[in-house]
Amino acid sequence: MRSASERRRGYRYWLLGAVLCTCASAALTSDLYVVCNSNVALRPADVREVFIGEKSFAGTVRLTPADNLAAQATFLGRVVKFTADKYASLWTKKAFRDGANPPLVLVNDTEAIAYVRQTPGACSYVEAVPPTGVAVVAKF
Amino acid sequence: MQSTKMTLRSWWSCTAMLLLCAGLVAMPPAQAATNTDKDAAIADMQRKLDESLLAIKALSERVRELEAKQTSAAAAAPAATAANAATTAAPAQRLEATEQRVTQLEKADASRKSADSGLPLHGFADVGAGTHNPINSALKGFYVGNLDFYMAPRLGDRTRALFELNTEVGSNGTVGIDLERAQIGYQFSDETTLWLGRFHTPYGYINTALHHGSWVNNSLRRPRFLQFEDNGGIMPAHTVGLWASGTQHAGEGKLLYDVYGGNSQQIVGGGLDMRNAGSPQFNLAAGGRIAYQFNSGKLEGLTLGLHALTARIEADRPVSITRLRVYGGYADYDTDQWENIAEIYVFSNADLGGSSGSHRSNAGFVQFGYRLPWGVPYARFERAVLEQSDSYFAALDGGGSYSRAALGLRFDVDLRSALKLELANTRATDRARDQYGEGLVQYAIRF
Repeated sequence: MRSASERRRGYRYWLLGAVLCTCASAALTSDLYVVCNSNVALRPADVREVFIGEKSFAGTVRLTPADNLAAQATFLGRVVKFTADKYASLWTKKAFRDGANPPLVLVNDTEAIAYVRQTPGACSYVEAVPPTGVAVVAKF
Repeated sequence: MQSTKMTLRSWWSCTAMLLLCAGLVAMPPAQAATNTDKDAAIADMQRKLDESLLAIKALSERVRELEAKQTSAAAAAPAATAANAATTAAPAQRLEATEQRVTQLEKADASRKSADSGLPLHGFADVGAGTHNPINSALKGFYVGNLDFYMAPRLGDRTRALFELNTEVGSNGTVGIDLERAQIGYQFSDETTLWLGRFHTPYGYINTALHHGSWVNNSLRRPRFLQFEDNGGIMPAHTVGLWASGTQHAGEGKLLYDVYGGNSQQIVGGGLDMRNAGSPQFNLAAGGRIAYQFNSGKLEGLTLGLHALTARIEADRPVSITRLRVYGGYADYDTDQWENIAEIYVFSNADLGGSSGSHRSNAGFVQFGYRLPWGVPYARFERAVLEQSDSYFAALDGGGSYSRAALGLRFDVDLRSALKLELANTRATDRARDQYGEGLVQYAIRF
């Protein structure tokens, strides 16, 4: 039979392990911020629609989304729920069917922030905490 | 002894837990290491990151340079009052100059991204072979299909444009070039876009979802009665006119609508001509389509629609005038696994030039496709029962009744190319009672 103090110690080890696991997975899962130009008012629920070309306007403002290559895999998995292949295929078909243009492709957070800050209607996503001068419309 | 065992057990628990954590932490890199594509992507991103760092370094140096210039200018300013002012204004000026410079650089970079840096040209092409040509069953062997280019220039906030130029090989081997679509539109909102020009006539599902690009289509070819006008189709696949199109959120799904009007087509030499340049007497063709798309729940991916069109069709051989009236419905179930399509068309045509009265005909198809990681196997059955005393069908080369059953397979060779195989059995049921089997292969790409 284990004594009460040994059982408590055992629980503590399991608790410690659980905390470590949680911390480890939190460290692996970074936040993703969807940012838009300050003239854009967008609901988090609309973000997916914007990037798959189903929503082109926020009020009277024409939206011009841009993909951020450095964070695209995370964004597609977490927000659009598409693989990169399916996303590319969707835009090929959409362009051919509707004459729609796919989002611009930017390389990293710096480019995405600069583009969003300077382009009316622009939206993109970044992994680093966004600086001032852009509107954070959602965090995933 | 018991206490030692317990301590050991606790120690093992702790060790096991730590190993589990270590495993969890180590797992993603281990998976990544096994994925060569990811490695390549990471290496590419690393290279781009290095380039960005270099750019940042260059910018920093430039900012330092500007700051130095600003400082020396301030230092050179004569007079005690100016010097006095400089001591208070210099930091603010430097900050302002730096901010201006950064803003200029950001603007330049942003405009570089959004600038019109040339029009990307995309397209589709296909070639193939078969026991019969997929369009003209009288021909056998190898064939060249379509080479199709499309352009959708970025024009501004609300103006949109789409041009599609298709080169195709006719039955006699000559190469023809068609401006399949030439439409310029104004997007008022997500709910309304107004197009002017030549567009896909919005009926059913596939006429607007699929077009000349074979790669887009999972099946090797369209149903025969829905082929394009110059390939024996019996429907006006293109209209030259005005088209309003849009979507509206409704419940958990979307309401899709299309309304259009344009030049009535004519039948010239056995095929439909969409009168690109107009006609001596303008006859209006008009129609519409309304559909509901389910975007959540058990029916997610399902679209149900109704469509109707009417036109005044003049034919040259035999000379006739027909009031074309077509209505019908369609269903499309498009999910990660399934691509199932069904369309039905009912014709209720009236002879305006003779005395043969009204005629009823119908045509339809059903197609089931299942998406697998490597491709899409599909099965299709199509049938057209077309009244031969109807002057509209009598004037069309492809106006005969038939039925066709087909089994096919699309194999995705890579992201941009697909190999398709189809086995089909076609039975002509009125004009020429004929039956033939087909084995077809097609290699289709996009670029």
